[in-house]
Amino acid sequence: MSTPTQKLVEAFRTGQISRRQFMTMLAALGATAAAAPVMAHAPGIRTAPQARPLKQIEPKVLVYGASQDIATIDPSDRVDYSISAIMRQLYDRLFRFEGGWPQPVEPNLCTEWSTNENGSVWTFKITDQAKFHDGSPLTASDVVYSYQRTLRFQRQRSSLLSGYLDVDGISAPDATTVVMNLKTPYPAFDRLLAFLEQPIVSEAIAKANEVDGDEGAAWLVDHEAGSGPFTIKNWQIGTVYELEAVPDYWQGWPGEGRLAGVVWQKSEDAGTRKQGLLAGNFDISDTVSVTDVEEINNTEGLQALVNFGLLGGYLKYNTQEGPTADVNFRKFLNYSFNRQAFSDSQLGFIKDMVSPIPEGVPGYNPDNQPQYTYNPELAKAALDASPYAAGGFSIDFVYVAGLDFEEAGGLILLDELRKYNITLNLVPKNWPDIVGACTAPVGGPPIAFIFDQFPPLADTWLIEKYSSKSWDRPTGGSFQACSFYKNEQVDALLDELKVTVDADRATAIVTEVQALVAADAPDLPLYVAPNVLGIADRVKGFNYFGDISVDFWRLWIE
Amino acid sequence: METLPNSGEGFLKATLRPVSVFRFDQLSIIHNAMLRYIGRRLLLIPVVLIGLSILTFVISRVVPGDPVKLAAGTQARPEQIERLRADFGLDRPLVEQYLMYMGGLLQGNWGYSISNRREVGPDLVRYFMATLELTIVSTLLGMAIGIPLAIISARWRDRLPDHLARFFSIGTASVPVFWIAIILQIILAQNLRLLPVSGRFDARAEFPEIITGMLLFDTLLRGNFEGFGIALRYIIIPAMCQSLLVISVVTRQLRGDMLDMMSKDFVRVARANGIPERMIWLRYLMKNALIATVSMLGFIIGFQLGGAPLIEYVLDWPGIGQYALKAALLLDFQPIMGSTLFIGCVVVGVNLVTDLLYRSIDPRIGFR
Repeated sequence: MSTPTQKLVEAFRTGQISRRQFMTMLAALGATAAAAPVMAHAPGIRTAPQARPLKQIEPKVLVYGASQDIATIDPSDRVDYSISAIMRQLYDRLFRFEGGWPQPVEPNLCTEWSTNENGSVWTFKITDQAKFHDGSPLTASDVVYSYQRTLRFQRQRSSLLSGYLDVDGISAPDATTVVMNLKTPYPAFDRLLAFLEQPIVSEAIAKANEVDGDEGAAWLVDHEAGSGPFTIKNWQIGTVYELEAVPDYWQGWPGEGRLAGVVWQKSEDAGTRKQGLLAGNFDISDTVSVTDVEEINNTEGLQALVNFGLLGGYLKYNTQEGPTADVNFRKFLNYSFNRQAFSDSQLGFIKDMVSPIPEGVPGYNPDNQPQYTYNPELAKAALDASPYAAGGFSIDFVYVAGLDFEEAGGLILLDELRKYNITLNLVPKNWPDIVGACTAPVGGPPIAFIFDQFPPLADTWLIEKYSSKSWDRPTGGSFQACSFYKNEQVDALLDELKVTVDADRATAIVTEVQALVAADAPDLPLYVAPNVLGIADRVKGFNYFGDISVDFWRLWIE
Repeated sequence: METLPNSGEGFLKATLRPVSVFRFDQLSIIHNAMLRYIGRRLLLIPVVLIGLSILTFVISRVVPGDPVKLAAGTQARPEQIERLRADFGLDRPLVEQYLMYMGGLLQGNWGYSISNRREVGPDLVRYFMATLELTIVSTLLGMAIGIPLAIISARWRDRLPDHLARFFSIGTASVPVFWIAIILQIILAQNLRLLPVSGRFDARAEFPEIITGMLLFDTLLRGNFEGFGIALRYIIIPAMCQSLLVISVVTRQLRGDMLDMMSKDFVRVARANGIPERMIWLRYLMKNALIATVSMLGFIIGFQLGGAPLIEYVLDWPGIGQYALKAALLLDFQPIMGSTLFIGCVVVGVNLVTDLLYRSIDPRIGFR
């Protein structure tokens, strides 16, 4: 955590500033820090972090209370926050993304990298210092194998990568050089790679554990073949996930001390995670409920850190069916949503969204227009301009069963629509049902409260959410495209954005698309959800980098 | 009560003999009848399981939502979705899918999770052993508390101990168990710091070597008494929560049956013959009254072996209930099928054992 942030947290904890002031100042601090590094992803020569001598602080084991299990640690299978958090410790990647917020690209295995003029051929030089945990050197051949393995498997981890790279598009001319020939030029490919965090697996170990040509898949589900700062000490699925430090990790340890190990303690109930922290069972608890922030901050030796990442909450309207197919009705809904009431329901721990993409994504326009704030007059005018001015009908509001903050959003809207003789039916559904309903407009939810999270790349955000190609296709749409939005101008711009190599033109397209989408109101970008971390004061070295979890490599316990 | 002989020594012996005394001279007759009974029950098991499998299969396929899209992830490309669908045979007709699954099952293959590609069989065993351990401890704890409570309650019927015992037994069944879990966490773990908040073993201690998957047994088998102590501390709150149902049922059922037995002739005769009251209660009353309780216990144990998702969720106990619940939420159909059939087998097995047990306690029931 940076020094100004520490001071701010301290001021909040000691009561020198109110919660609202705290949130405002935190947002301002984030915005200031955001300015430079976000766009600074141009290729160049960087150096990996240098090892520093450790103080005489005895390494200790850190117990991490996590809200999620670790389904697999196969480097080519899938990603979610818990898998990523552990994979960062077991494996090295070309780049790292833990340098702060909003996520500057930092070299890791990569010592320098470059691309050709149109961003279609990328060359990466990698360090010759890295070693796998069995002592064998990590070479460019292992990098190639790791990427190819993921592309061959065609599982969730390969989803974004396979849009740009084929198995035969990657090669290793020598032991420290990797070349990637892209299918489509992409000037921000290094940033994409940093986000994808492809773990580099030892080809020799994977192949040594191969069964029936599975490239070690069965074995790597709960074993590792990496070179990261930690290795597996004990891995009992569902019961214990324990890592121990590699003291002579090739990259050294960045802090004044280091951890002896990490125990990932799955604790799915938010209340239990808080109790574990308060009782001293956990050193850190992630995904703490905002209602527990005050109690944690009032407990000696503990603090709750509130940060914002890229998890955006949207009210998505079915733009093809029912009343929400009418743009004025959608605008009516947007102006009817009382953001302040919603913020109050979340104790102020939210960050309003004013654009279809959240702050932190390059190209985000904070002045995008129109911005939908609660305005009954504009709401009435929009409703009058729609065919539904008389009301007298009902409409479904679909949300994930059990998520009280989504239900709160529905209740706030329900209360407002009642004034216009419109009944809002709150329909809680299980998540798979919502995903299934988002396949096609017919039968799709009229209004759905859905969270989206993508890489910090504007094109990914905009294409997945607002290109009609993301839902009007034989396999149907994803939940991100649950607005079933179709605007030919937007489609054309997004097609162009996908292939443009001109940075200025790309920025202009991103700005224009944000405005066009806001004018059509296929959704209400509502808020960025907070990442709340409960952490003991004895834990040092925390550095927020936009993720729910932490980078254990940087931590130590005093 | 059995038909009483007319008089003499036989009268006294027959009168004082509890109805449940096992007679070895009947052993061969009972043995044959029992084997026939077990055979009949075993023959029914495949029928039950096939019915269960068809029901589960149909339900898991007709619910809305697409497990393939969920598993493929948010940015999956259409060809990835189709490949995943083909990998798991979901592009084939439903009947063929069912037959393929059942064919695999007959060869010991419980299938794979579509969400994490893990084998279902080993996961089922792993999670089930945690549930089994919790069920054993909670049942023992529940009986250790419930049986004395029932005796106290019946012995001092309609007096203060009875009222307190009944209040306790009804209260334990009335309060949501997850709420009890949270209260116990706050009091015993957070405030008093006597017990851990959640989990199965101390994260900072050396995790014991797995033999059976039940940590209490594994630590004892290895002579790891320190590990046993740790595992015991971690199981106390979950077991306390899970035992509440046992306590409630045992206390009320046993109390009622004991009161019922108190008016029976054999008890009155025993009293008339001067048999000590303690012996009447422990040997005559309780043993006869246990029949219905054993039957209920069998039902509860079968129910608990299916997992307790709420307790497991709040207390982070890695049991089969959570495994099944997660599979259901993700529409992960092979773990859904696997856990349903596995739990089905367990319940059928427990019911069979229960049937045999109370037929042994009360030979009058017979094996027809």
